Amino acid sequence: MLPVAISVDPPDISRNLANKSGYTFPILSDPDAAVIRRYHILHPAGGPDEHDIARPAEFLVDSSKTVRWTNFTEDLRVRARADEMLAAAHQLR
Amino acid sequence: MSVPDSAQLRKNTLPLWGLLLALCAIACNAGFFLSIPLQGGIAWLSLLFAVVALILVAFGLWRAYGQPHIYGGKSKSLVLALIALLPIALSTYGFVQMRKLPSAAAAPQVGQKAPDFTLPDTSAKPVSLDQLLAPPSPGSAAPKAVLLIFYRGYW
Repeated sequence: MLPVAISVDPPDISRNLANKSGYTFPILSDPDAAVIRRYHILHPAGGPDEHDIARPAEFLVDSSKTVRWTNFTEDLRVRARADEMLAAAHQLR
Repeated sequence: MSVPDSAQLRKNTLPLWGLLLALCAIACNAGFFLSIPLQGGIAWLSLLFAVVALILVAFGLWRAYGQPHIYGGKSKSLVLALIALLPIALSTYGFVQMRKLPSAAAAPQVGQKAPDFTLPDTSAKPVSLDQLLAPPSPGSAAPKAVLLIFYRGYW
């Protein structure tokens, strides 16, 4: 299972984050929130200066591009834990 | 009419219990950093502590000011109540603010197809969903799945 992080941060900001935190998985940039809109998880004016950002959301997508598991938190303090996401991935056959 | 001897007045411990519960409501937030299960429950537990704290403080004030012939410690109750109001307000405000999230009801659900996309990676190189699902290099195994993690950004 390949984790892929997506946010409105531009590539250089994401590169800093990856370098600082040692992330080696892909981090993609959606500055205009076009894909975030396509996935219907836009948080209008949710960022600083009324910027449109993504609400936190996780989708496990299999090789046929079918969604197999999702997580949409109702509380910013409550996020999907690594073991939950790994368990969902392990259940894929 | 005789003024009641303060020694005969009962102790009003409710404001103190209210303050302690209000601090518990704040302390609950430590649970979010510990990555423990049932975090959704912690959010509600924190709110419950805050609500019960408010009730205890209000009831304690009513005892002190409404029944001064039974309970003593008017000013002490007031001070404790004022101190308790800060953590009560903070945890309640936090609960409301942290849940101001738009619904994800229209998002792709389990069993539906994930919309295609092509987005730049950290080197500004465009990457598509198909590429992510393909073998990273010729001869290597394709990932069984990709986990798309949308996050708020501005880190």
